[in-house]
Amino acid sequence: MLSAAEWAIIGLSLKVSLVAVAATLPIAFALAWLLARGRFPGRMLVDALVHLPLVLPPVVIGWLLLIAFGRTGPVGGWLQDWFGVSVIFRWTGAAIAAAVMALPLMVRAIRLSIETVDRRLEGAARTLGAGPWRVFFSISLPLSLPGILAAVILGLARSIGEFGATITFVSNIPGETRTLPLAIYSALQVPGSDGEVTRLAVIAIVLSLAALLASEMLARRFRHDDRTGHVL
Amino acid sequence: MMASLKRALWPILAAALALAPAFALIACGNDAQPGPTIVLAASSLQESLEAAADFYAAEGHARPVLSFAASSALARQIDGGAPADLFLSADEDWMDHVAQRGLIAADTRANLLGNTLVLAAPSGSALRWTPGGDLAAALGTGRLAMADPDSVPAGKYGRAALEHLGQWTAVAPHVVRGENVRAALAFVERGEAAAGLVYATDAAASARVRVVATLPDGSHPPIVYPVAVLAASRRADARRFARFLLSPAGQAIFRRYGFTAPQ
Amino acid sequence: MSFDVDVARRLGAQNIAVRFATGPGLTALFGPSGAGKSSVLNMIAGLLRPDRGHIAVDGETLFADGVDLPPERRRAGYVFQDARLFPHRRVAQNLRYGERLADETQRWIGFERTVDFLGIAHLLDRWPRSLSGGEAQRVAIGRALLSGPRFLLMDEPLASLDSPRRAEIMTVIGRIRDELRLPILYVSHDRAEVERLADHMVEINQAIEDASHQ
Repeated sequence: MLSAAEWAIIGLSLKVSLVAVAATLPIAFALAWLLARGRFPGRMLVDALVHLPLVLPPVVIGWLLLIAFGRTGPVGGWLQDWFGVSVIFRWTGAAIAAAVMALPLMVRAIRLSIETVDRRLEGAARTLGAGPWRVFFSISLPLSLPGILAAVILGLARSIGEFGATITFVSNIPGETRTLPLAIYSALQVPGSDGEVTRLAVIAIVLSLAALLASEMLARRFRHDDRTGHVL
Repeated sequence: MMASLKRALWPILAAALALAPAFALIACGNDAQPGPTIVLAASSLQESLEAAADFYAAEGHARPVLSFAASSALARQIDGGAPADLFLSADEDWMDHVAQRGLIAADTRANLLGNTLVLAAPSGSALRWTPGGDLAAALGTGRLAMADPDSVPAGKYGRAALEHLGQWTAVAPHVVRGENVRAALAFVERGEAAAGLVYATDAAASARVRVVATLPDGSHPPIVYPVAVLAASRRADARRFARFLLSPAGQAIFRRYGFTAPQ
Repeated sequence: MSFDVDVARRLGAQNIAVRFATGPGLTALFGPSGAGKSSVLNMIAGLLRPDRGHIAVDGETLFADGVDLPPERRRAGYVFQDARLFPHRRVAQNLRYGERLADETQRWIGFERTVDFLGIAHLLDRWPRSLSGGEAQRVAIGRALLSGPRFLLMDEPLASLDSPRRAEIMTVIGRIRDELRLPILYVSHDRAEVERLADHMVEINQAIEDASHQ
């Protein structure tokens, strides 16, 4: 049904997206916490910077990543000198592009969840003998879980569909950076490829539907638990 | 009867408001004006064709609109019914492709230009290679940029040349594919690729690359740029512009940029 | 002195200042709503920082110049007006939350005895959201007791309950006062409640300096 090449494309897309979301999750959580609870000068600036990838054209993000991670760039040069590693033309670069584009969505979802955590519950836990870190892990984090799960699903969906920043930053290398959207784009560049395009597009639709269904099922589960009285 | 008409008014109004943007869009799309000639041209022709269009405009004609992309992508657009007038391909294969589908005015097809293939490297690089040498060794861990060898003419010529020289198998894992030859050139300019296979004219157009070696003419099929007026074209100016490009005045402009006469 | 409190704090447009020192048993902080009684409890619990003053309970200084124990070290058993049970844990885990964090020497009442005392054995497997007001309040009291506190803070624990429940919990609190012998600081705006339960009473009106006590 699907050719080996097509499976390889799906595999690459999933690899890039899973790595991107896994790497971004702690960063997104930290930023969400900072923005939800922190009171410090420059908070609005941090908020704006986090949301930049949502509003800037993806090509611009890709270009900025190129400047930063290119051979002569600040991060790229450092990576090259200290680790002998480059992310240009590599799947790791594609993951970085996907991560940057997914970050604002994940931060928003987690932040919403953190803001609904009743801080008085945290106070109650403190009076029962829990220090700040224990309160975080036993109260705040579990109660933010719905937002974290939403962030993961949103992040995955966004990453799988990421195109503009990826193709600008790490180009279109089969097996390395040619994720599903890029594969569809490549097929469109060549005459006579309609069959190929159709198959790849169907795969993309199936993946997106799966993400939506998962998100809906999770939302339902939390709603149901709300009625019987517990979260999770 | 009046009452029910009045009742129907609001839903009708709502429907009209909802559909209004769609109608506006459709109305905009209806462009029956003649307008300037639209040319679909291979990316390697960027500077030279712009100069030719300027010259043509200076003579008092409407300046043609130029759209550059890989010849394969252009062929697809023509397949899909793109409303263009002229097609300038970087190889005969893609012109044959659209010709076979009856999409060109066959009597207007002519060979316009020739070109040479070179190995280019970033200006400051120390890379050395001659066509008889081991390219993979010269590249070391570096990448070789080229247009997609599966479909884009520059890539196809490049692979043919390397296969002829017995270098392709060793070099293939190093290859980074660009969407078109200019994308490959950009990789070399930025230093992301250690070297790239581009046309001599591309290397000449860039100040940030230097030519390492020229690939011998015999190592690949002759590089020929055919031009043709598209069958669906209704603009008389299209044929006039094509004739201009083929004329001595037009050819002189291309020579300045390094193009040769077609073989 | 069980409760030796002298604190002041500016909260929004309000200036809260309170000074009192009372003996063992149940001390009621009595006054109208909005006078800042809950804020006083929060300061004693360590959840709110006074602008100045000192707090000592049963001889141990919790807050003074150079001393500010974090809430988890003050060993206050705090029962809130709205129970504040953890929604993501069942009743049993709520009860054990503080118990787990207290060490051997601090735990002076056992799980079975607490559950028995409060009559909540049949609720152990339930989720907090499914409990009635009275049941939740009893679990909250149990949770506070099990954390091995040296004293109890109770913020209008009967306010959100209906008559039968109030009587029920009032009885429980009376028994804690008599049988478990913990110093209790009890906030209420209900004179009848206070007169039934209190050994000492501290009156707090809108932002008053010294509170009178009997």
